[in-house]
Amino acid sequence: MSRPEVYPFDNISAASRNSEQDPTEASRQQLSEDGHPFSFSPQIVRLHREHDMFEDGDIHRHLYLQDLYTSEAEDRTTLSVSEFPCHISGCSAQFSSLGEYEHHYNSLHRNVCSSCRRCLPSARLLDIHIQEWHDSLFAVLAQKQDMYLCLVEGCGQKFRTGKQRKDHLIRIHKYPPDFRFDKLKKERGNKGGRGQEQKVKVIEAVNDVCESEGVCEVLCNPMSDQPEEEESMEICEKEAPLMEDMPSPVQDSEVNALPLNPQYSRRIPKTVCFGHGSSRSFRGQRGRKK
Amino acid sequence: MWRLNKIHHKSRWHQNNIDELRLRRREQERALRQARRDRQLVSKRLLLYEEEEQTGVTMETASGEQDVVSLLLKLQRGGTEKEIHLKALSKVLRESSAQLSFIKQENSMHLLVGLLTGSDAQCRLLAVRCLHELSYSPNTSVASACMPATPYLLTFLSGPTTKFTETCLYTLGNLCPVSEAVKEKLLAQGIIPALASCMENQRYNLAVVEAVGFTLSQLLQATGAIQKIISMVMCSSLPTYLVSFLTPDSEFGLGAAIECAWCLHYLVCSSEDHQELLARGALLHCSSELVSLSGAVTQGHKEDGMELLVCPLLRIVGNLLPSCLVEDLDKNTVFTLLVDALCVFLQAYLSSSPSLARETAWVLNNLTAHSTECCSAVVTLNLVSPLIQLLPVSHGINTMVLRILANIVSKKKELCVQLVQLGLLSALCSTLKMADQEMVTLSLEVLYMLLLTSPQVKEEFLREGGASILEIIQYNDEGEIRQKASYLVDQLLLTQQQHTI
Repeated sequence: MSRPEVYPFDNISAASRNSEQDPTEASRQQLSEDGHPFSFSPQIVRLHREHDMFEDGDIHRHLYLQDLYTSEAEDRTTLSVSEFPCHISGCSAQFSSLGEYEHHYNSLHRNVCSSCRRCLPSARLLDIHIQEWHDSLFAVLAQKQDMYLCLVEGCGQKFRTGKQRKDHLIRIHKYPPDFRFDKLKKERGNKGGRGQEQKVKVIEAVNDVCESEGVCEVLCNPMSDQPEEEESMEICEKEAPLMEDMPSPVQDSEVNALPLNPQYSRRIPKTVCFGHGSSRSFRGQRGRKK
Repeated sequence: MWRLNKIHHKSRWHQNNIDELRLRRREQERALRQARRDRQLVSKRLLLYEEEEQTGVTMETASGEQDVVSLLLKLQRGGTEKEIHLKALSKVLRESSAQLSFIKQENSMHLLVGLLTGSDAQCRLLAVRCLHELSYSPNTSVASACMPATPYLLTFLSGPTTKFTETCLYTLGNLCPVSEAVKEKLLAQGIIPALASCMENQRYNLAVVEAVGFTLSQLLQATGAIQKIISMVMCSSLPTYLVSFLTPDSEFGLGAAIECAWCLHYLVCSSEDHQELLARGALLHCSSELVSLSGAVTQGHKEDGMELLVCPLLRIVGNLLPSCLVEDLDKNTVFTLLVDALCVFLQAYLSSSPSLARETAWVLNNLTAHSTECCSAVVTLNLVSPLIQLLPVSHGINTMVLRILANIVSKKKELCVQLVQLGLLSALCSTLKMADQEMVTLSLEVLYMLLLTSPQVKEEFLREGGASILEIIQYNDEGEIRQKASYLVDQLLLTQQQHTI
């Protein structure tokens, strides 16, 4: 007859994994024979007399012996619930309900442009944003065709310039003139001092963004500590004037040091891309350890 | 004499003000917690007397020093007024200054013992009251001064009178924890056999049963010589009686059951070998008692102070389960009923007494870890959904509940599909996001087991957005968690690739 494992309840979760590991090996749990790192098995737990879990019951017993027992709920702390932390590197928010956490995440972290950290309210607007602001191919095509898509889903109309689209939105779809998610790109200053005149930075100045967007406050601060990295995306000089928006020198850097492929999508995908070479979101100081 | 029909606040504390009482309780609670940390958790009991109970006020005593001396002198002279003087003495001895004065007087104890063993029955009763007051003193030298009387107290335990016996018992119970020397002496004088025969003789009087239980629990809480005490107790008939008194009495109430349950708890958790207790039906009795108590809760008849009985019963069951063969568990339907009872307690005590709810969850973990039948019972009794709803609650409750669910997943793989239908996967999608690392680890383990069962489960998990959750967990602080998450991510990737081929 097989008995399940019986453990004294010092640290039940340590019982199912090696508790004595030196720090360098700490990440490496012993694999089972089948080569997987899972080791759960039902465990009967024996509690000795002095165990912490018995404390409250013992105290009530003795209060009863001393005629001080009461069954009224008095000074009772409200039942506490497990907390949900925000997992984004640099965001230290915690929430006491999953709903609150998800609202926070969806509002601030979900549809975030990985280049300029701008937060968009939907995947569609994020796609449009990336295409219009960070895709050089778009800029090329926009010279010849109408590329600026109307933001209203289902409308489908395209325009030659951002301004035309904006006018369309205001006139036809009754959008406010200062619609937050259709900021026209501003003029970008020249950064000749770097000796890289040929290169045009497509990264938005984050400070710029923050003033207008507001939602990006949370995102900005952690970024300021990171070393500056250049995004050396090559764009032909003659195309440069056609880009309506020339961001000023970047204060904060891009999170990812990505391989520099103009077609490369810098959008943080809502569904995860598996496989190598795909964009990994949230790659902060700690990378994925194998 | 003191009775516990219903637990209510004794007016011994002179508290007219309910706030003062609360303050006193809080202070005492703090002191008790510290005492427990110091492994010196000890309480004594003081009996109130009938006239005090009626008026509801304890007798005020004036400064007793002079009174003690003069009363002793009067008693020495003898005569017909001994009773009056003794009564006065018993009141005076409530005061600590009087107590100190008493023990300083030469031959004072000798005199008292003489009255205790004399021919006058009323004097005997009053003399034992005096001793009782002395035994209650927190001052070691005062309590130890009672030692010359103990052989007689023990002899009186086999006597027929109940009120007298009760006072003897509580006096002895107060003396047990005074010091190692006192305890050794009591053991040598045969306190355990005396308690056993007292229990046997007076088993129809629940007040005496309660008093025996209290005294025995004082012995069993000792840290020194505990194994010797336990073997002496196990050799006697006491365990059988303890097991038989676990049911509350409709008239007398919970008092006797509470004491007997705590004695059994100390017996169980201080030893490893439980075969004797199992043979005497301890596990069965405690389990069926828990089942009937849960019935009372369901019907809304939750008695005041029931937690004081539920708590030790839970602990006995929880610690006896490891020693019980699983075949014996599965033979008896009471354990299936116990599964339901435990879930009733979980709900009932969740907000009023979270630590008791946690102990309940611990017992259910042991039950489901041990018995596959009990795992099935959780599902067939529709208890999975209520358990899942407890997963947000901390205080260590949710980790235990997740363990229970993990036990079921592990032992009853054929029920996994049903568990998924009941919402286990969605629940895991929440628990995987929690801050508590143990919850995350357990969630990953359960998820691994569920994903193994069928490709449908994998698909369902992907549909619920599980893949991105796992991606996030790959950046967790703990290496083992990262490793587990990565493994699962790769497994899911394999599935995806297989589908696209």
